[in-house]
Amino acid sequence: MGEVILTMKGIDKSFPGVHALDHVDLEVRKGEVHALMGENGAGKSTLMKVLTGIYSKDEGTITYEGREIEFTNPREAQDAGIVIVHQELNMMGHLTVAQNIFIGREPMKGGLIDDGKMNEEARKLFGMLNIEIDPTEKMSRLTVGKQQMCEIAKAISHDAKVIVFDEPSAALTEAEIEELFKIIRDLRAKEMGIVYISHRMDEIKVITDRVTVMRDGGYVGTLVTAESTKDDIINMMVGRVIYEDPKTQSTVKPGAPVVLKVEHLNAGKMVQDVSFELHKGEILGFSGLMGAGRTETARALFGADPKESGEIYVNGEKVEIKTPMDAVKCGIGYLSEDRKRFGIVTAKTVAENTTMACLEEYMKGIFIDSRRENEVAQKYVDDLKTKTPGVDQLVVNLSGGNQQKVVIAKWLAKNCDILIFDEPTRGIDVGAKSEIYHLMNELVAEGKSIIMISSEMTEILRMSDRIVVMCEGKKTGEIDIAEATQENIMHAATLRK
Amino acid sequence: MMANNVKKGNAFTENPIVRAIGTQKIVVVAVLIILFGFFCIASPAFRQYSTILSIMDYSYYTTLMAIGVTFCLITGGVDLSIGTGIICYGLLGGFLINHKGMPVAVGLLVTLLAALVIGTLNGALVAILELPPFIATLCTMMICRGLGSIATGGLSQNWPPAGSEQGWFRSIFKLDLGTIKLPLGFVWVLLLVILMSVVLNKTKVGRYIIAIGSNKEATRLSGVNVIKYQMSAYIISGFFAGLGAIAYAATFQAIAPGTGAGLELDAIGGAIIGGTSMNGGSGSVAGTLLGVFIMSMLKTGLPFIGLQANWQQIITGLVLIVAVYIDVLKNKKMQ
Amino acid sequence: MDKIKNNALVKKIGFNRLVLCCVLLLMYIVFAILSPTFLSYNRILSALNYSYFLGFLAIGVTFVIATGGIDFSIGPVMFAAALISGHLLTKSGVPLPVCLLVSVLVGVIYGVINGYLVAYCGLPSFITSMASMQMAKGAGSVFTKTQTISWPQAAEASGWYRNLVKFRTAGGVQIPTGLIILVIAMIIFSMILTKTKAGRYILCLGSNKEAVRLSGVNVKKWEMLAFVICGMCAGIAAIFFVGAYTTIQPGLGDTFNNEAIASCVMGGTSMSGGLASIGGSFIGVMIISLLQEGILAMGIQKDWQYVITGVIVLVAVTADIRSRRRKN
Repeated sequence: MGEVILTMKGIDKSFPGVHALDHVDLEVRKGEVHALMGENGAGKSTLMKVLTGIYSKDEGTITYEGREIEFTNPREAQDAGIVIVHQELNMMGHLTVAQNIFIGREPMKGGLIDDGKMNEEARKLFGMLNIEIDPTEKMSRLTVGKQQMCEIAKAISHDAKVIVFDEPSAALTEAEIEELFKIIRDLRAKEMGIVYISHRMDEIKVITDRVTVMRDGGYVGTLVTAESTKDDIINMMVGRVIYEDPKTQSTVKPGAPVVLKVEHLNAGKMVQDVSFELHKGEILGFSGLMGAGRTETARALFGADPKESGEIYVNGEKVEIKTPMDAVKCGIGYLSEDRKRFGIVTAKTVAENTTMACLEEYMKGIFIDSRRENEVAQKYVDDLKTKTPGVDQLVVNLSGGNQQKVVIAKWLAKNCDILIFDEPTRGIDVGAKSEIYHLMNELVAEGKSIIMISSEMTEILRMSDRIVVMCEGKKTGEIDIAEATQENIMHAATLRK
Repeated sequence: MMANNVKKGNAFTENPIVRAIGTQKIVVVAVLIILFGFFCIASPAFRQYSTILSIMDYSYYTTLMAIGVTFCLITGGVDLSIGTGIICYGLLGGFLINHKGMPVAVGLLVTLLAALVIGTLNGALVAILELPPFIATLCTMMICRGLGSIATGGLSQNWPPAGSEQGWFRSIFKLDLGTIKLPLGFVWVLLLVILMSVVLNKTKVGRYIIAIGSNKEATRLSGVNVIKYQMSAYIISGFFAGLGAIAYAATFQAIAPGTGAGLELDAIGGAIIGGTSMNGGSGSVAGTLLGVFIMSMLKTGLPFIGLQANWQQIITGLVLIVAVYIDVLKNKKMQ
Repeated sequence: MDKIKNNALVKKIGFNRLVLCCVLLLMYIVFAILSPTFLSYNRILSALNYSYFLGFLAIGVTFVIATGGIDFSIGPVMFAAALISGHLLTKSGVPLPVCLLVSVLVGVIYGVINGYLVAYCGLPSFITSMASMQMAKGAGSVFTKTQTISWPQAAEASGWYRNLVKFRTAGGVQIPTGLIILVIAMIIFSMILTKTKAGRYILCLGSNKEAVRLSGVNVKKWEMLAFVICGMCAGIAAIFFVGAYTTIQPGLGDTFNNEAIASCVMGGTSMSGGLASIGGSFIGVMIISLLQEGILAMGIQKDWQYVITGVIVLVAVTADIRSRRRKN
């Protein structure tokens, strides 16, 4: 490890209603791989966005190569030598590898782009990194792993001195990760400062020199990797035990019938051979880190995305679910993690959204019976304590928590017995959160069954009767609430099978 | 080692020569040859030189429009104004020659200039005001249709006939050597296809147009002035519609106001058949040329086997739907 | 200003629609000043003639635009319907009621084709409908062998359909029956759009198709239905077109697309889908009809109408996009 190249000190950033970064420190040295760790929503990405000028900071200083700096856009950061290799790749699939790397600064010869020279330069770059990629290949024809290598090459070609890898291994195969690590070691040898964001404990031990842990937007501490154990890091990540009344015992009645059974569900890379059972009156928590395949499992189960194989039994009967229509007929309702895109029609009223799935029940002849429609909407507004001036209010004007209640009302109006809550409290303020929890408990008390996908450990521990843990498209654990701890969940969530 | 890192197709599509040319282009050439063979066998009249000459004649203006609109399609947009546009520009130029006594050269220049103005307007509407391309160019399509008629007072315009003192421009496209007529226009079209292929593949304009169609946001974040380059696609389209107007004026005796709607579909259809995607990002000028030839071949060939000329429009529609559907399926497969 | 906007009655009708009504009134006054004949009953009837078929086209395309799509084929489909049924009536001696049905049927067939290609095959609606526009022009020409078709005059046999447009009493008074029918149709279709399941789902899927699909709704079916309604309306429009203008030429009709679309966007129907108003389209239709009559009355070249329609759509769509961006 060499001298310090980048220091972020006391970085503070607030968004309306959220204290996203609370005086966070980070120090990166030359020739160091520095892991940045934390649960989903701990503030890692926000910190990196502040670094590269996507967000402006409220407080704190960034010192880079001995000078205090503040970038206003990623381009400035890039020119100064700080580059992010994103998880979602920013590439032009129709252009070749070389064309992607040199976009915006093509070498010219006689008014024309000198593709020959560009390919030559790209080849040199790849040679330097010991990567075998044909610069004339179309970007879209490469695997995700190779595309990422191209991003790295692009970063190097910008004379980067600090490279931030944002969960680079999320979409890579074992062999590709090996290759990636080789490159990262090379870069380290070339005295670059590397920030490595990842959830994977085993990787952290293999590749990084130091670890900085964040939690809830705050700075927890920095460890030297070689001197710390996996458990040390996990403890720092989960840390607090401040959640209200965690469940200690399953509230499902013994012998409650299985209402939903999923066997060997397969759908692409993100859902591989997933099997589980859901009992009547149970809240089945789905835990896992970002990209574990939980949402994909739910969508495949619901028929929103095509599945390759797998059997689904509702109340013991085998059902064929190909489209959401089939799922709804089976009494399954899905509350998406992305409400605005998949949950509600924002430009329509509360009443219209409430009866979206069960409009046929509110018809008088060929016409919609708006009186009864408004009545049922009002009933759910009252039951769920939705805060809205009226049922004719456009949903776009409601707050996140109340929008979520409208989606819940939609499925309750349809009388769905199996509800899939995908991140039910994302983007919802604290008060509304506990209302949603209360509501979920009431629902299961009434005999409904809930699958709850959540990235918040406290939520999982507070609500679930049983917990299914997923990692990289596979089910890696099933834990009864009585035995569940943050640690054993986190272990299963970082288990690569 | 390399092979493992690349998503593979089947043996035919992975053949290096096939890949260099593009599968779709090879299929299109094959279809073109089969169509030509079929018409030649089915109709003795079709085999004649004059017929082939007339297929060529009718293809010039469509090809020129298609070359231009290919650039718009590659950005992920479209230009619907070119159809009524070429009529409008041709009318303006013709009006100046016929009614204002201007020399043909000035008429040609004004034709091109008008085309550039509309092209720039389209570009501004799409790139700066961010209107959906099909709506923006639909409006300019209407406006062109009206303007052409208004400028000429609703009169048809006859550009000077071949052989007359001012008729020299017609030999740009068809050189009459007395004994034989040479389809000179084809040479120009070929040269322009080569030129625009170079522009598309070897210049910044072309490179960024492809990049915008492929991923506009990523292109913007790479520091490229996307507004400028998106606009330039529409200006190119406008300019080529201007060239198309000249070809139209040189091919036909008269230009009638109020016509032209639907011509753009031949051009767009040709481009899509030639492998340019409606989703943007990919396309080739050479493919467009081949695609337009399929369109022209069908339209000129069908009457020879006894189908009335009116079927042409139906054929255009059908071919367009098939081409777009293939494109949709292709994109689905890519994902 | 805000006071007016917040008035209960104004809110009910819609501020924009009130402004449009004022524009309509103002236009009428301006035309009346510039051309005194404008005040005559005949002029008004003549302007109304234009509004009937345009009204039906606009009703239909409102449904398609509500889904977030577009249909450029309505004008030519209307012509194809009028040509095919007119050919059957005048050349093949098919009875009039059958011909009127055929006209509607032709429209429905085109609607089904467009709807299937867009909803089930996933083709972009603008290019699909442009292709079917060509096919409609072609079909009309092929069926009639490119001959102009003249529908029977009022006095002739099978001329009674003209009463649908204009009824002449024994005393010679002309009653615009077309207007009555159009208004009734507007009310019916407005109810379909706002009060039935079809309309509800069409509007919702135009606003957020994926959310509606994930609610277990058969979105493809409803999206297709919008195109079918649109085609059907084009078929009905054909009857009112020949009822007012008698003769019909093959190969035309595409200018009416733009006028119908312009009527919709002026009336507050959003090109991005989800927001539509038949009542608004009605006012839009009246403005366009008055405009074309005004242009006619003042002896201005009619091509100005195309330019003006183009500009209207540009302005309306730009305004719509701007206001949406402000909201987000």
